[in-house]
Amino acid sequence: MSLLTADTIGKKFGGVIALKDVSLTVEKGEIVGMIGPNGSGKTTFINNLSGLYAPTSGRFMFNGEDITGLPAHVITGKGISRTFQNLRVFPNISVLENILIGLHCKITTSLWDVYAGVLKTRKVERQAREKAMAVLELADLAGRHDTLAKNLPYGKQRLLEICRAIVSDPHLLLLDEPCAGMNPVEMDDLAGFIRILQKKGITVFVIEHNMRFIMSVAERIIVLANGAKFQEGTPVEIQKDKKVQAIYLGEEGDL
Amino acid sequence: MEPTLENHGKQTGNPMTFKTVLNHPMFKKTAFLTAAAGCVLLPHIMTDTYYLGIINYMILYVILCMGLNLILGYAGLLSLGHAAFYGLGGYTTAILITRYGFGFLSCLILSGAIALLFGILLGLPTRKVRGDYFCLLTIAFGEIFRLVAQAWIGFTNGAMGIVGIPIPSILGWSIRTEVDFYYLGLILLGFTWITLSLLVHSKFGRAFIAIREDELAASVMGINTAVYKIIVFGIGCFYAGLAGSYLAVYQTTVTPSNFRLEESCLMIIMVIVGGMGSLLAPIAGVIIMTLATEYFRGIAEYRMLIIGVIMVAVLLFRPQGIFGTSAFKG
Ligand SMILES: Nc1ncnc2c1ncn2[C@@H]1O[C@H](COP(=O)(O)OP(=O)(O)OP(=O)(O)O)[C@@H](O)[C@H]1O
Ligand SMILES: [Mg+2]
Repeated sequence: MSLLTADTIGKKFGGVIALKDVSLTVEKGEIVGMIGPNGSGKTTFINNLSGLYAPTSGRFMFNGEDITGLPAHVITGKGISRTFQNLRVFPNISVLENILIGLHCKITTSLWDVYAGVLKTRKVERQAREKAMAVLELADLAGRHDTLAKNLPYGKQRLLEICRAIVSDPHLLLLDEPCAGMNPVEMDDLAGFIRILQKKGITVFVIEHNMRFIMSVAERIIVLANGAKFQEGTPVEIQKDKKVQAIYLGEEGDL
Repeated sequence: MEPTLENHGKQTGNPMTFKTVLNHPMFKKTAFLTAAAGCVLLPHIMTDTYYLGIINYMILYVILCMGLNLILGYAGLLSLGHAAFYGLGGYTTAILITRYGFGFLSCLILSGAIALLFGILLGLPTRKVRGDYFCLLTIAFGEIFRLVAQAWIGFTNGAMGIVGIPIPSILGWSIRTEVDFYYLGLILLGFTWITLSLLVHSKFGRAFIAIREDELAASVMGINTAVYKIIVFGIGCFYAGLAGSYLAVYQTTVTPSNFRLEESCLMIIMVIVGGMGSLLAPIAGVIIMTLATEYFRGIAEYRMLIIGVIMVAVLLFRPQGIFGTSAFKG
């Protein structure tokens, strides 16, 4: 059984057809890439998957369970985490607090525990902090745990957003253009980081425009064009594909 | 936490500054103990009942503003109806004590509970309506509350209000003098502070902040934002209910004019001036606004003008408030 099966997903915004019958699968432990020209529906696809939108048609099966149209917070609880194309860290609170919020669905403290189980709550909080620091350590951000998120350099904020998404040990991590605004060194670090996540058992689905990055990190690539699945294959196959090159002509020349 | 190479380097390059002293645990502990001792001893140092009376009102407003700050400063929901929840507490206590002979402690608890219940009910629409419309709803609720209190003469005694609320007593301690009320206020304030700090330092407090910072991202973190907004609104209103109960026994009367829109605005201003999103910051706002209105009592007709000027000055020169978090620096 695949970790994720998207079955003929369609999404309309009024008259605009953003997604048409997109079907794909993601296997456990894979790093899957998604590319496609601007406006081809990549972000819309993961917005539907993560519960921010409900698809107009089709269904998502995750771990054998139908999750189509569930609210975002429920889907996160089932083990799908994500980042955003236009970076959405919580700007005015510390790096550590950002990560702790990412751990929300794993902290079992009830409102009753807050007042009546002070010691238990304190223990849970301490463990949460340790867990959060361990994740920051992994991304080399531990030394900045006290910094306000907005005061981090842009590349580090993107890394923070990924840390916030993985601290809850998701089964599937969705990254929407994680390289945007990064310099080449930061991109290489990020590629290394994603491979570490894969070793830790997280399946990664990554949307990216930067071809060098996606070709180096993804094991399988899905190409989207005009809201429909256009092609699918290994990085080598996709790079050689004349039709894929054609839809990118005039878009970016670096394929 | 183990110092890593990165921050270690920074600390050695940066010797004892004013800020590191302020953040030192030893300093914090000493400051806290001194402040606590000062609070307990205060009525013995300041024996003038006029000043003590002003301080009692300050305590009352601090309780109100700490609850409001949870809603406004932590979760970022603008409520202009806080006086109504204050009023619900006031009337609950006044009616239960004078007509049904309830003890003060049970009145206090029930006042909080009624405010909590109505807070949850008014919080329900946050699921559906945007922040600015929600704010309009809270204004409407506040006005409806006041009009009902004025018009339902059989139950609330209308504009005359409920008078002759007897001296309260808790577990044999009868609360008569300004000093007694000071200690009652201090206990309520301590309760408010402790319970709020437990809340904001849990996953609930972080969820409220996440909603304020970015509601969509909060939902993707697994936070059921609809439910958390209702929780934060209800809990914030609970403290207003407690404050209302205190007001009823302290003033010995409650009237609809105690709970006007103007009061809600004043509380908002106190929270903004003190600083939003930090637990104790509203204290500064309460002290400044109370002293200012007391000082200019002679020209009472300009009261709102003076309040307005102070608020504009704070927003211009220190937009996050005196002790607020940087979230509101703009
Ligand atoms: N909320 C929305 N309302 C209306 N139309 C939308 C909405 N979201 C996306 N669209 C439309 O759906 C189409 C796909 O947009 P989407 O953002 O998914 O593209 P993308 O592949 O992520 O592009 P990019 O590479 O620029 O990020 C676009 O035509 C866009 O205008
Ligand atoms: Mg996109």
